[in-house]
Amino acid sequence: MTERSRFEQQVLPHMDAAYNLARWLTRNDHDAKDVLQEALLRAYRFFDGLRGEARPWLLAIVRNACFSWLQANRPGDVAPLDEEAEEADTETPEALAARSLDRRLLNEAIAALPVHFREALILRELEDLSYRDIARITGVPIGTVMSRLARARRLLADSMRVIASAARLPVHR
Amino acid sequence: MNAEESRLLHAYLDGELDPPRAVAFEARLAQDAGLRAAYERLRELSSAIREEADYHAAPAELSRAFSEQAPRARRSWLQPALALAAAVLLGIAVGFFLPRGAGEEALARELVASHVRATLSDRMIDVASSDQHTVKPWLSARLPFSPPVSDFSGEGFPLVGARVEYVGGKPAAVLVYKRRRHTIDVFVSPDVPSGRAASARDGFNVERFSAQGMGFALVSDLNRNELEDFARLLAGRS
Repeated sequence: MTERSRFEQQVLPHMDAAYNLARWLTRNDHDAKDVLQEALLRAYRFFDGLRGEARPWLLAIVRNACFSWLQANRPGDVAPLDEEAEEADTETPEALAARSLDRRLLNEAIAALPVHFREALILRELEDLSYRDIARITGVPIGTVMSRLARARRLLADSMRVIASAARLPVHR
Repeated sequence: MNAEESRLLHAYLDGELDPPRAVAFEARLAQDAGLRAAYERLRELSSAIREEADYHAAPAELSRAFSEQAPRARRSWLQPALALAAAVLLGIAVGFFLPRGAGEEALARELVASHVRATLSDRMIDVASSDQHTVKPWLSARLPFSPPVSDFSGEGFPLVGARVEYVGGKPAAVLVYKRRRHTIDVFVSPDVPSGRAASARDGFNVERFSAQGMGFALVSDLNRNELEDFARLLAGRS
């Protein structure tokens, strides 16, 4: 089997996961397409270096391409986080309004999360990846993945509640 | 709630606690109503995200753009010849020292390859229907056996269709189910080896079990926990 068909067989089935991540990190279709196209060519060049599973490997390449792109085009998005503050945050969501809100508002609230929290949330909830894989993809220790995920969920629940009360939406469902 | 409890709560929700710690945490959940309420809220948030957040599938033009841009690999005839020679030698070596589990490995490889082939060629489904009374007769007409077919929409695993594949040179029914955006292929055949097994290849999980003289093999990029849940559902129904 040629290198190319091995690549097509092992890597291309994960295109949706790659695009979903790029789309959530860049937050629009046009930039996601550009970044992913670059990332795929890079993945193809470094395909020899693939050891183990293709999906986390591809997602790590896509994630890094997105961060380089954000660094160049929207540096404000990738400002370093105060990780200390995350450790101090131990509360879980209180009254959760998620169910009472429509899809659009939930999606807006996720898109508004700081990018480090957003990527942890997307990789866990939409890609079903383990903490270990998320740690490898995002290049941080597992403990940091855990606190980012906890923080992402808490921020999301908070902003859903704020949106709900601002819009005076009836809580139902 | 202290920092330790918060970490355990998220890790438990995400299926990241090893069995002894999960059991210990369940005991704490049972005793502590506040902790239990926090867990329920967290689980509700998690399922809201999984069900409602947009999943952006890759536009078809991306694969096309890649095919046009990626340089065609230039290879001499020597490389395939060497690879073939190596494969022959390896085949001989494996034939002599067949390790335990090698059959399982080969089977998992074949099942995953079939699943990937179907995904890539967009030929997941030959008969598209969520109605077991449409799918079952369609399969029975094409196979020398009649596989059990059930829809699990109520449990979050809707049946979307079926196709017929060859596994180990024998025909097998493939029931196609969805779990959120994940596709699950369920291979069913009296010729799929019996017994229970689980493995992972190239980012896909494989679960096998047998029931009522049929072998079942599940292949999906769905996480291991939910795939096991689905295997239990199937085993209970057939």
